[in-house]
Amino acid sequence: MKSLYVVALWGMNLLVDSAGHLAFKAAAIENDTATGWAHWRHMLARPWLWVGIVCFIAEFVLWLAFLSVVPLSQGVLLGMLSIVIIMIGGRIWFHEHFTRLRVIGVALIVLGVALVGGAG
Amino acid sequence: MSDIRRFYFVGFLMLLVMDTFSQVCFKIAANHAEPFVLNFAWLLRVLTEPWVYGSIIGYLGAFVIWMTLLRKVSVGVAFAASHLEIIGVMIISVPLFGEHLNLVQYLGALLILAGVVCLAYSEPKEPQTHA
Repeated sequence: MKSLYVVALWGMNLLVDSAGHLAFKAAAIENDTATGWAHWRHMLARPWLWVGIVCFIAEFVLWLAFLSVVPLSQGVLLGMLSIVIIMIGGRIWFHEHFTRLRVIGVALIVLGVALVGGAG
Repeated sequence: MSDIRRFYFVGFLMLLVMDTFSQVCFKIAANHAEPFVLNFAWLLRVLTEPWVYGSIIGYLGAFVIWMTLLRKVSVGVAFAASHLEIIGVMIISVPLFGEHLNLVQYLGALLILAGVVCLAYSEPKEPQTHA
């Protein structure tokens, strides 16, 4: 029962983290002609930026709840799955390409974060 | 360096500085507010701690930079590259908080750096052509 709770918290953390960043991306590119203040006014008047902000407020609470049941280093390692999810989400919704160099770069970062987190 | 390269370089550098600044302020605030107990008295100690407002300013600055970067950079690449923050925090923790780093952590930092260099080279010079 406890492990189900941990997995549920993990899943919810991944969900809000990934959704938040994808929502921010959607907000940032929605009106690509406006610059400076005009762009910010446009973003603030549209839902995507707010969707992202709500996701990160939820994540703050969910992350604290998650860390209360797993050690920090394990939490960091498990949370890293969002790097992969966001990359796949970017490919689906924003047509970002998986080039060989990008996949290698992301793999190195995942491995690096795992080493730093695991050894901390 | 082309304009777009300079934009990436300056943007990610500023993001790194802002994120690191936030985390350092957070750590100092948390140290001052010890002992940590999740109750009202602790929350009050944190909120009356000036460093906590430094970290809020850092977060707001990072948010503005992040939204600006996302206009041009792929979100998958940008999010992975934002983990550069870990290196910034790790290195500054040694002189500031007397933390010790082991060999595995140095190796991890090196891999993150290598990964970010790969991502930097994977970005097309003109983002519109094949983003």
